Amino acid sequence: MKKLLVLVLAMVMVLSLFVSCNKEAETPTITLMQGKPEIDAMLSAYALAWGAANNVNVVIKSIGGASGGLGPQLKADFAAGDMPDIFAFDGLQSYKDWEGLILDLSGEPWVSKTAVAFTYNGKTYGFPVAVEGWGMAYNADVLAQAGVDPRTLVNYAGYQAAFAKIDAMKAQLGLDSVVSMAAGIEMGWVTAHHNFNSLLSNGLRYGDLSVVNNLLAGNVDARRLSEYADWVELLFKYADKTILTTGNYDSQVGAFATGKAAFLHQGNWTDPNMKAANATFTMAFAPHGSTAAATDGIFVAAPSFYAVNKDSDNVALAKKFLTDLATTAAGHTYMVTEAGMIPAFSGISLQPSGQLSQSVQAYAAAGKVYSWNQYYFSEDFRDKTLSPIYNQFAGGQINKAQFIDLMTQAFIDNKE
Amino acid sequence: MTSKSERRLSFWLFLAPVLIAFAVVIVVPFVLGIFYSFTNWTSSARADNALRFIGLENYIATFKDAAFAHSFGITVGYTLLNMIAINFMAFSLALLVTSKIKLSKFYRVGFFLPNLIGGLILGYIWQFIFNNAIPSLGKILPIFSFLSSPENLMLGNPASAIMALVIVGTWQYAGYIMMIYVAAIENIPVELMEAAMIDGASPFQRLRAITLPMVAQAFTVTMFLTLVQSFKQFDVNVSLTSGGPSTIFMDQPILGTELLALNIYNTAFRSNLLAMGQARAVLFFLVLTVISLIQVGMNKKKELEL
Repeated sequence: MKKLLVLVLAMVMVLSLFVSCNKEAETPTITLMQGKPEIDAMLSAYALAWGAANNVNVVIKSIGGASGGLGPQLKADFAAGDMPDIFAFDGLQSYKDWEGLILDLSGEPWVSKTAVAFTYNGKTYGFPVAVEGWGMAYNADVLAQAGVDPRTLVNYAGYQAAFAKIDAMKAQLGLDSVVSMAAGIEMGWVTAHHNFNSLLSNGLRYGDLSVVNNLLAGNVDARRLSEYADWVELLFKYADKTILTTGNYDSQVGAFATGKAAFLHQGNWTDPNMKAANATFTMAFAPHGSTAAATDGIFVAAPSFYAVNKDSDNVALAKKFLTDLATTAAGHTYMVTEAGMIPAFSGISLQPSGQLSQSVQAYAAAGKVYSWNQYYFSEDFRDKTLSPIYNQFAGGQINKAQFIDLMTQAFIDNKE
Repeated sequence: MTSKSERRLSFWLFLAPVLIAFAVVIVVPFVLGIFYSFTNWTSSARADNALRFIGLENYIATFKDAAFAHSFGITVGYTLLNMIAINFMAFSLALLVTSKIKLSKFYRVGFFLPNLIGGLILGYIWQFIFNNAIPSLGKILPIFSFLSSPENLMLGNPASAIMALVIVGTWQYAGYIMMIYVAAIENIPVELMEAAMIDGASPFQRLRAITLPMVAQAFTVTMFLTLVQSFKQFDVNVSLTSGGPSTIFMDQPILGTELLALNIYNTAFRSNLLAMGQARAVLFFLVLTVISLIQVGMNKKKELEL
């Protein structure tokens, strides 16, 4: 029995040693959780340098994945009482999930330097991670060969003519298809998030929510929807059927990067893929053609925001981390040169190297931008209601009239 | 202290780590899960996030959901097909590798190997095979030219995509089940086989009258394993089809190959309805328990004692 007692006592001592070791750490730790695995290495390196300079231990956690990996992880951490000090969110719907936890950052020095911070009821809550944009990316070399002027790509009629012309010359231009478009369920974010936004904001003033509010109230503008359906039909008609119905991100982007498609329905985040595929042709963005009227801009906004956790023990440090990111030269170098992002703040002279990023920057500088309004609809609605409708249309199970009917019905059912 | 109580103490102390682990990772989450399924729990800091008791609302909404009904139907179908396919393949392979062919040890390892590859990776590999390799086979060989047509892609329509899931599920799991059959077949007393051979029984008669009854015990295990494995299929489903392509069910456009486990995951994390996902998980548990009990009961009756 004595032996047992000794054993138990020894175990208690060992345990208490572990506990006290943890308590002894003097340097404060802040944790940042974000959803872009592709910038994890660069952000970690920056955080390490910043932490060393400020005597802080910064932990970067990057959770990516096709099915919104960050959201579930945050919920699990919240349930476990282990929320990070800084975390990323992507718009109104996810802001509402964490409303009780997100600190008001209106007084921060970087607020006046950006136009795309996340604001709600007049207060600033989110630090814009970067600026991203999408339109119709085109291969300028192929367009020149086919004799298509990119300046005509401003409305439905312009695209219809260009697509028909290029389609007739496919063999001559070495193309498999005109547009690289994906509409599988896995690629629902291309259709039901990005393409869907053409219906919501194309041709409208930046931040104009008239169409969104009408659709949320179940009032469908039949003409706008019908013009939009024409656009979707056009994209699907001239797309490679295999990529359209079953392709994934790599096959969609790959077709454009290897010169097998003249257009790509994606954004400037494909720049690293273009580089990896050694795509040397000239490329840029053109506006979407989802309306009969001409439009001259592409969809540009901050894709995600950093929020500071109100209940964090180190709110001041977390705020300083974000401020330094936006206002110091080291922060700028990390954002633009290292991570290749388009900075969301003024007063930065660095330029990303990717052609598509530069195109987005040019549109933004000219003020020819339309907002991202898809976040006003829940992820549930977009992924589980809209995405299957696009998928049916792409697969040819339903025609355009049925597509319009199903979309109309979906908006009516979505009304709260 | 008497040695008896000392022994009892050490008994419980040695058992404690297991008991504590079991309680913490199984019992507590299970009870909490049932509790949450009757609430509006979301695990988020919403403005109105007070935990409220809402009775059976989650369960009622689940039964009204067309996507859930569809998932349930295709999961049952998929499970049946998968059980048949896996067990048929596994038993055939087991007969093959226990026969006197050359390199049988090598085949055993080969057939078992796919089981060591994670389901997610397996799904992506097979996605490539179905979307790229098979169509390009159609381009090379004129006889198979129909394969390269986009309308004939396995993952292009819901019915054939389910078959694709069965193919991948069988490829992944048949080797593992084969090992169980191999062990059972090798345990059959040699005298029985020799006696039958002397009596002039054909290989088929030996299979039907000796091998099958003698491995009935293994059938109980393998049927149970394949049933549970198929019913809970998640990772291959996510990576191979992500629930697509879509289909129209009860006049609603929904995901065509979303098995139950994926439906629960999507409900909880995509639709942000954690409590409803929990309610579905409880239903999932009940259904799986009942089906497995029936299956084990049925198989037990067929077992043979020597």
